[in-house]
Amino acid sequence: MRAGLLGLVIGAAAQLAALLVSLPAAPAWAAVNVVATTTDLAALVSEVGGNLVTVESIVPAGVDPEAFEPRPGDLGKLRRADLLVRVGLGYDYWLDALVRQIDDKRLMRGGEANLDASTGIPLLEIRGQSVVNEGGHAHGVANPHYWLDPDNAITITANIADWLVRIAPAQREQILANRAGFLTRLEAARARWSTILAPYAGTKLIAYHNSWPYFARRFRLDVIAFIEPKAGVAPSPAHLARMISTGSKANVRAILHEPYEPDDASRLVARKLSVPMVRLAISVGSIEGTSDYLALFDYNVAKLAKALGARGP
Amino acid sequence: MTTVSDAFALLALPFAAAAVFVLMHAYLGVHVLRRRIVFADLALAQLSALGATVAFASGYAATSAAGFGYALLFTALGAALLTLTRTLARYVSQEAFVGIVYVVATAVTILVVDRAPQGAEHVKKILIGSILTVEPADVAKFAALYAVIGVLHWLARRPLLALSGEGAPKGRSRAAVWIWDLAFFLSFAIVVTSSVTTAGVLLVFSLLIVPAVIGSIFSDQLRVVLLIAWSAGIAACAAGLAASYTLDLPTGAAMVVAQAGFLLLAGLAKILLFVGIEQRSRNRRITLDALAIAALIALLASSAWLMIVPTGDQPMLALVESATGIGPTRFLGAGERDAYESAARDLVRFQGEVDRLDALEKAARYEGTPLSDDEVRRIASYQKTFNEMTRGERFVQEILRAKAQTRARWIIGVPGMLVALAGLLWLTRRYWNGYLAIRR
Repeated sequence: MRAGLLGLVIGAAAQLAALLVSLPAAPAWAAVNVVATTTDLAALVSEVGGNLVTVESIVPAGVDPEAFEPRPGDLGKLRRADLLVRVGLGYDYWLDALVRQIDDKRLMRGGEANLDASTGIPLLEIRGQSVVNEGGHAHGVANPHYWLDPDNAITITANIADWLVRIAPAQREQILANRAGFLTRLEAARARWSTILAPYAGTKLIAYHNSWPYFARRFRLDVIAFIEPKAGVAPSPAHLARMISTGSKANVRAILHEPYEPDDASRLVARKLSVPMVRLAISVGSIEGTSDYLALFDYNVAKLAKALGARGP
Repeated sequence: MTTVSDAFALLALPFAAAAVFVLMHAYLGVHVLRRRIVFADLALAQLSALGATVAFASGYAATSAAGFGYALLFTALGAALLTLTRTLARYVSQEAFVGIVYVVATAVTILVVDRAPQGAEHVKKILIGSILTVEPADVAKFAALYAVIGVLHWLARRPLLALSGEGAPKGRSRAAVWIWDLAFFLSFAIVVTSSVTTAGVLLVFSLLIVPAVIGSIFSDQLRVVLLIAWSAGIAACAAGLAASYTLDLPTGAAMVVAQAGFLLLAGLAKILLFVGIEQRSRNRRITLDALAIAALIALLASSAWLMIVPTGDQPMLALVESATGIGPTRFLGAGERDAYESAARDLVRFQGEVDRLDALEKAARYEGTPLSDDEVRRIASYQKTFNEMTRGERFVQEILRAKAQTRARWIIGVPGMLVALAGLLWLTRRYWNGYLAIRR
């Protein structure tokens, strides 16, 4: 009887041990945990990674990444991360302090799990400042809004695919196929967007914040001025008067506005110039109907074309 | 360039709004001063901001009816809380409660908007306001609302003023005192609630207090106090708006500082002009002495600072340099001076190159043939190089400047310090004479 019980116990223990040993290997493709600083990069990671990855973004949708303040929960996200994808160029400058706190070499700048998505992008508006810039504002080395040129998504996804393959080499085929599928859809959509915006090439616009150089370059728009004199600084009356007079001289056709910036100054300039104020999404999820990367452009292109077309091309 | 008419077109509406605010707030400010609830009113303004924030976080515009309702509710609760704490003031100073209410209201504001989009912007906006972009309909709304409240206050001026003057006047029942107190706080809450979302907590507070203080400096009579407060307040708002336009400053903050500037001027005018002849000359001497002593202390401190850390930031020296046009090259040899000046020239040249490339790339976005990605990359790498070179030139300038300041260390520092010490001793001679006389 005793021996039987002992045998049972030993048997159970052996089974448990076997289970424990086999656990880490149990799912052949344990999902890769990716943390992206912004929703845009998170969206591109999930296009490439598909169901092989779980993606979290640190900055929630609809929050200004340039004015973001990390909180304790973000440290937890970073601790779980197998791969960290950042915008770079000083846009998510707060990330370095966070990573330093959890003291993980892999996640630090230049570490094996830290992907700076700006690598290889043709950068616009190079500035002489160092990476962490004056006043905590996030336009450091160059203008950081490069994901707003759909062609840059080709470079960004190439980097993401490279890094994912390095982490999960067994899934190489799947990852490359995911990316190829995304690029096919992107190509088709890109042709559609260019056709829609083609009649408005050279149109003069005023923007609240300098978010649009890459978008403007790709779709041949001319953003002549910014309502915000410096990022995060409210415009002074002299600056607003200048906006209004240059805007009317240059025949500006619309005011572009980011959803999370205060809109009273943009509304005032739009009212004085009698042009529409167009609220465009600069990030995935910042406006309803922009739930993934292609939807972001679908929304912005349609919204802009509608505003510009209202008075005839 | 913009013209004067542009300025007027843009500033007329904010000025009208500011004038309307001054008329109402300066009047309430007189009550606030007499009731000695200055900080209580800052706490109430912050509570109103909290109410507006709660409305904002639940998706209502700050100027909508719902936004107003929330803000009013919070302000009224705050007023009730402050009335209650008056009974506790026997045990602990009421100031303590007022301080707690203010700090907690501010902290809760930040917590409430934490996850809301635009949250940080909203917090800033509620502090400094957005009077520059006020809309015509809003100004009309303020004027109508304040007209109604103004008339009600005029009708009830006797009991309200008596209460503000004495706290617990004789011959009135406790219930009557309580009801009039409540009426005052309620109207106060409505006014502050209406203005905070447009003018911001800082401007509302300064419009309440500063004009009323200016008026009270010159007179005790309500009518005179109000006239002075209104004209000074409106003039200060105009000055603030003008400064904001010509000096390119944020409007709300400029108006607050302009109010303070007018208070300073009023204080000086009071002690230098509106006193007896004898007193006047005495005050004039004291003012001049105070100014001279402040200047000499600044000279003393910066001379000492130059001698202690010659290579550090020297704000006074930089001020003198930029005012006189005498650069740091004065203490450099001929070769060093050439190096400094050529660095300055190169800085301009390199920056010009960066700007030229910027303009080139920008124009190609929408004109002619677009630049290929590789061309853009090449432009970017040129710009990076120029920026590196700019940094190098700046480094050269900094080294030379530090060298010049090290040489100026004793040549400027010692005489500066001696002059400052001698001047201070002379200005305070009477004090020393007295001291020595006692010692003898």
